[in-house]
Amino acid sequence: MTRHIQAIAMAAVLGTSAISAAQAAEDSLFALIPGGPHPYFSAWEQAGADAARDFGLAGAEYKVPQKWELAQQNQLLESLLSQGYNGFLIFPGDPVGAVSTAEELSSYGAQIIAGAGCYKDPSPAAFCLGTDTGNSAYIGTKELIKAMGDGEKRIAHFTGFLVDPNTQLRIDAVQRAADEEGATVVQVIADIDAPEPAEEKINAYLAAHADEVDGIVTTAWVPAVVAANALRKMGDSGIKMVGIDHDEVLIQAIKDGIVDGTMLQNPYGQGYIGSFALDRLRSGCTVKEDAPFGSNALTDKFIDSGTSYVDASNADSYLEAMRAETEKLLADFESTYLSCS
Amino acid sequence: MTIQDINSPPGATGGLSRTRFFLSNEFGLILLIIVFAVIFGLSARGFLSPFNLFTLGRNSAINIMIGLSMMTVIVTGGLNLAVGAMGVSAAMVCGWLIEGLGVPWPLAILGGLAFGAALGFINGWMVVRTGLHSFIITLATMSIFFGAMIFLTRAEAFRDLPAAFSAFGKMKFANYLSPLLLVTLAVAVALAWLYRATLTGREMLAAGASPAAAELSGIRVDRMVILCHMLSGGLAGLAALMLVARNGAAIPSMAGQLGQDWLLPAFLGPVLGGTLLQGGKVSVLGTVLGAFLVTMLSSGLLMLQVGAFWVQTFLGLMLLVAVLLDKARRSYLARRNLA
Repeated sequence: MTRHIQAIAMAAVLGTSAISAAQAAEDSLFALIPGGPHPYFSAWEQAGADAARDFGLAGAEYKVPQKWELAQQNQLLESLLSQGYNGFLIFPGDPVGAVSTAEELSSYGAQIIAGAGCYKDPSPAAFCLGTDTGNSAYIGTKELIKAMGDGEKRIAHFTGFLVDPNTQLRIDAVQRAADEEGATVVQVIADIDAPEPAEEKINAYLAAHADEVDGIVTTAWVPAVVAANALRKMGDSGIKMVGIDHDEVLIQAIKDGIVDGTMLQNPYGQGYIGSFALDRLRSGCTVKEDAPFGSNALTDKFIDSGTSYVDASNADSYLEAMRAETEKLLADFESTYLSCS
Repeated sequence: MTIQDINSPPGATGGLSRTRFFLSNEFGLILLIIVFAVIFGLSARGFLSPFNLFTLGRNSAINIMIGLSMMTVIVTGGLNLAVGAMGVSAAMVCGWLIEGLGVPWPLAILGGLAFGAALGFINGWMVVRTGLHSFIITLATMSIFFGAMIFLTRAEAFRDLPAAFSAFGKMKFANYLSPLLLVTLAVAVALAWLYRATLTGREMLAAGASPAAAELSGIRVDRMVILCHMLSGGLAGLAALMLVARNGAAIPSMAGQLGQDWLLPAFLGPVLGGTLLQGGKVSVLGTVLGAFLVTMLSSGLLMLQVGAFWVQTFLGLMLLVAVLLDKARRSYLARRNLA
């Protein structure tokens, strides 16, 4: 009799867990919030929609603050919490200034993951899922130096917003790779991850100094596109270039032999796996104490969302490369980072 | 709470007062706030939730303070385009005093406010000395103040502020009310008292209404203009410090590039509230209501999932409509000899 009762109780517990997990998915309404409008994050929209379909979520919606401004992001997050959203993948508008809002969201039971950029510890974010930006810039610079071959190696580095904590990491990594290979970083132009300043500064620089540069490495989306266009207009300049991300202009420039390659990041994977992880956390999973997190200048709970180098040989199949990165990470994500009893 | 009220003829009848009240900006704003609150309450999920009401109050507190900062200069018939740059500079000075010099935070707050007032003094002094319109002077100082601040801070935020700062920004009374809103309302009451009950306040209004007549009456107009700009700088600093409390960090970009993101809320509050751009008339209550309405509209439109990019368009349209309605209202009052 006792055994029967135990069996019924066990079945009830398992059934309840399954039901609560299913309910968590059905009730899971997530928002994927970038710091502001930027093409890098557009892949989050499809990633959220795919995750909602694949994991049976109530929604995983991409919402963009109207300006790249912390106050706008805060206001958007506050309104979404009031509307019943209960999980957030956030690119923090400021690594410290955004923590306060994250704590408020968390105090109302919302799950939070930092995506593409990290909060400064301590924060209520379960972890930070982003590109190891330093490593990506390092590998990209190494590839550029390889493409430059023998002879002088003078590199110009075009990069993103100075307020983005990733920018300094990228500048340092490019310098380190150059030092190791005996190359020289002759110019760093930062704060140009927007069309107007990028067009103005890159074109002006190349107009005046093209003959003093042997290679260009770009570590932000817009400068990569602008530099690729500039090289196309210049014709046979002899300047090698490795860009970043997967804008169509850049991919086409690689196919046409104008640009040597690009360092893919994985924004789709961040959105997809971030939504998956938010749902698992809502279902009762917790982050493992001994999870093999990496660390960077902001956090000790960093997960690399993957990066890979694409050149002319695989420019046609770069989407597969991105998917492969996502699948690789997702395959053992739960067992590696989460504890789901 | 307007100078118009203060100057009401002693024999004015109750009927005329009532008519004038129903035609006032304040009444219109109260009506609009009620109408939109009902619309959003019925149609936007979560609009009346405790958290949204709390954040609405907190965001309103900052927007109202920004509006009051602009209002104190509009009183003189001037403008302060540097309101954002001054506010952020004052907040950064406060952050530097705490982190750089180890000054206790209450003193650092006072230092930040004093610095804001000092920047206001520079604006006012230049307006008085050059005779140029404050539009030109503050357009220039907006870039100067912001540029100097960026140069000196190297665009780095002050992030290791005492926990008391962010705790104050997140504090709730009765689960709904932000203490930031209480600070703002206290300042608004103090300003209303200044303009209604003190000689200095009345001299400020007189200097704005007709500088020549005020000068002939023995009012030192130059001093009043400088004082108004100092008040504006101090209030801009207070708004920025409230934002620091909200974020837990003093961030150079918190008012956008050159502080321009504060300009729309700075103008919307006073203009919707009935403060005359020509100077000489002020409505503290109107500014409070105008800024609250704007904040509520932003919140409600976001919750209705109106595209975030349309919110700014809508607010700009509101500003235009408010100015046109005010013009029509004044024409009506003039025709009926009620003004």
